[in-house]
Amino acid sequence: MHQNQVLEFVKTNATLIALVLLTVALAIADPTFHTARNLSNVARQVTVVGIIGVGMTMVILIAGIDLSVGSVVGVAAVVVTLLMQYGLPAWIAVPAALFSVGGLIGLWNGFWIAHYNIPPFIITLGMLTIGRGIALTLSGGSSIPVADPSFATLGGGYISPSPTMVLLAIAVAIYLITLLRFLGDRKKSAGGVKTKRLSAGFVIAPAGFALAVYVFGGGDGLPVPVAIFVVIAAAGIFVLGYTRFGRRLYAIGGNEEAARLSGIPIYQTKLIVYVIVSLLAALSGILLASRLNGASPNLGTMFELDAIAAVVIGGTSLAGGSGTIGGTIIGALIIGVLNNGMSLLGVSSFYQLIIKGLIISLAVWFDVLQKKR
Amino acid sequence: MSEVVLRMEHITREFPGVRALDNVNFEARSGEVLALVGENGAGKSTLMKVLSGISPFPTYQGDIFIREESKRFYNTRDAEAAGVAIISQEFNLIGELTVAENIFLDRQPTNRLGAIDWRRLNSDTRCLLDELGIPDLEPTDHVRSLTVGKQQMVEIAKALSKRASILVLDEPTSALTDREVADLFRIIRKLKRDGVCMCYISHKMEEIKQIADRVVVLRDGRTIGEVTAIGDIALEQIIARMVGRDIRDMFPGTARRRGEMILQVRNLEVDHPDLPGEKRIKTTSFAAYRGEILGISGLMGSGRTELVSAIFGAWPNATRGDVLVEGARIEIRSPRDAIDHGIALLTEDRKAFGLFLDKSVAFNTTIAALQNISAPWMGVIDAGLERAVTERFVRELGVKTPGIDTAVATLSGGNQQKIILGRWLNTNPKIFILDEPTRGIDIGAKVEIYKLLDRLAADGVAIIIISSELPEILGMSDRILVMNEGAIVSEFTRDNATRETIMEFATGTRRMGE
Repeated sequence: MHQNQVLEFVKTNATLIALVLLTVALAIADPTFHTARNLSNVARQVTVVGIIGVGMTMVILIAGIDLSVGSVVGVAAVVVTLLMQYGLPAWIAVPAALFSVGGLIGLWNGFWIAHYNIPPFIITLGMLTIGRGIALTLSGGSSIPVADPSFATLGGGYISPSPTMVLLAIAVAIYLITLLRFLGDRKKSAGGVKTKRLSAGFVIAPAGFALAVYVFGGGDGLPVPVAIFVVIAAAGIFVLGYTRFGRRLYAIGGNEEAARLSGIPIYQTKLIVYVIVSLLAALSGILLASRLNGASPNLGTMFELDAIAAVVIGGTSLAGGSGTIGGTIIGALIIGVLNNGMSLLGVSSFYQLIIKGLIISLAVWFDVLQKKR
Repeated sequence: MSEVVLRMEHITREFPGVRALDNVNFEARSGEVLALVGENGAGKSTLMKVLSGISPFPTYQGDIFIREESKRFYNTRDAEAAGVAIISQEFNLIGELTVAENIFLDRQPTNRLGAIDWRRLNSDTRCLLDELGIPDLEPTDHVRSLTVGKQQMVEIAKALSKRASILVLDEPTSALTDREVADLFRIIRKLKRDGVCMCYISHKMEEIKQIADRVVVLRDGRTIGEVTAIGDIALEQIIARMVGRDIRDMFPGTARRRGEMILQVRNLEVDHPDLPGEKRIKTTSFAAYRGEILGISGLMGSGRTELVSAIFGAWPNATRGDVLVEGARIEIRSPRDAIDHGIALLTEDRKAFGLFLDKSVAFNTTIAALQNISAPWMGVIDAGLERAVTERFVRELGVKTPGIDTAVATLSGGNQQKIILGRWLNTNPKIFILDEPTRGIDIGAKVEIYKLLDRLAADGVAIIIISSELPEILGMSDRILVMNEGAIVSEFTRDNATRETIMEFATGTRRMGE
């Protein structure tokens, strides 16, 4: 490989490389870090920010922002536990809370932003306060316990090892099919026009699968929220990369006026995006309430910042138009691994905040640097 | 004869691929209005940007002499210090501030504590306005609340407050009412008596006849003929100097057969975005036919772009009137509706309104017709089909690109334009509107685009071309509409159109029936 190519590879995959280095370093520094139990824990912790991050990526792609997701987490958690307090079973309370809280708040945000062109920063900042107020009002300011015991499996349950292995096998199969189709396409058009090179994600995927077998293949198996996160992330990657809707998001973020003149329905698309992010935030809130076996009205405070940080570290441009969910997942993993590692190493939580902030700044600086060349 | 205060010698300015100014020489005297005329893109504004320091010294070659003293302007402040001020088409005023604050922006008189001395600021402004004979303007008025004409006066006052002795006015009347124009001319005449030298850029021949002392014509970045006293030259001669360019053998000369009417626009009106009650497009009707190339000519700001944008659904709430496609009245509330009815619009400013610059050739080619490359269910995109469609257009249009995954920002203007052409061809348009399709692209790509449009017309597409370049309009169109001040003022066939007559109608020198 040429020196230039190496440099280019490092540049385009900087966050992935950072994640790998970080993981290796922590594994060496602390023997408990790479136990299956700890890694499984990390995975579960990452899901909350990760699920919101999938939606936040879409919002930021269209050059928007949603600051209200943390409050949506709180409202959804309070509503779902309250509904069960009123005697509804978990299987009704969950979708009811999901769609009423996530759907309505998303429609509210999306309507103001799409219809009146109000800056999303302002509208969702307003919603951040309103949402927290609703959560505090509904709960009376105190925590609400979970009434339906079956609710706990959603956030705290596991898929036992053997079905997990089956799921992993299916995932490997999908990966291989995609890889083969990709290589086939490349051969077909080998003549005139050059095509994409294999991305680093493809190359590192086998290592990911091996790690997944190690972490989830034994012990308790695959945590349910992690499974839900994987499904949502996969759906997100699919939507952004392979559908008309995904194209519209990149077009709107890239050049909104050109997108409009190309016949893209701006209003409808924006509305849907803000509903999606709110639904995902509500889902996160419900999963969190389930794992904690209760809801506090302050649940989810500052989550919006973690989600935005994950998106930005993952390389999505705040100006819109470029970015991937894969990047966001890497960003969320970096934050998760960092939190976990620093706690294991006994770094004070005060320092943790400083380090996290520095990493976010660094990521944005790097992004700006890349744009300049 | 008064003294020569400004001389520009051998001015040349190059942009990538274009020589915007090519060895321009001219001079202006104190106490005169020198009119600079020429077609759009002839280099008038570029020349004045060089003069006023907006295009600073090393970006051009040549010499500027102010009162026989060689000057090099590295920025507008240098130019102002030498007494040169420019009033651009776009005003540089701050709407939230008062008239006085704008005039003395960053030069406000202060008291001993460094705070602004409001009393002096306002009285100085009052003196200045009185001197100029602008009595009905208060120093404390907020600029935002003023009419465009009054804002123009503020710009002039601001320029003169810096003791400008050379004043450049770039199309000063383009947004003014007749009364405001009269006021402006009164001030210009007063400045003339005071010995100010004014370079006056305008398209409007009537005005030039009224206000200018001498005239110089620019064409293709060169001065055509000498600086001539306005009394010694007929308007027709000025126009002949403006347009007198050979039509090179660029245009496909095939005879086209006009088919049935496909687009009919009836009584279309568009409200002015800034002036309530005014119309940007005045009641307008026209038709386009299959297999015909319809040219729309007119000067910048004549409403050409607004007319076609309105048809394309850009401002559904400001537009009234009927659009009929194939005889049926259609409702166009958005560009999507227009595209669904077989209308395509290639916009004038391809960077701002056309391209997704950091996206790939494939992305840019397919974005307006994603349904062609995706399954109806959930809109899943077929990557193979996407590549096939893109490669077909890349081949057919001769786009030179390293690959279909290359970002379009890295391609040349001509190739970018071809990609947008491909985008619209991919929507299978029945009516294809092109706004300045060849602006800023090289001759080779131009000729290819002309051939393509000719082929499309032969296939039965109705083509509408807007262009500021008269040779292009004359060379391509079967029929020509001329616009002036938001209305279609005349119509020509290929045979009875000449550059001179089109220019006369476009500049408002001649009106229907004359």
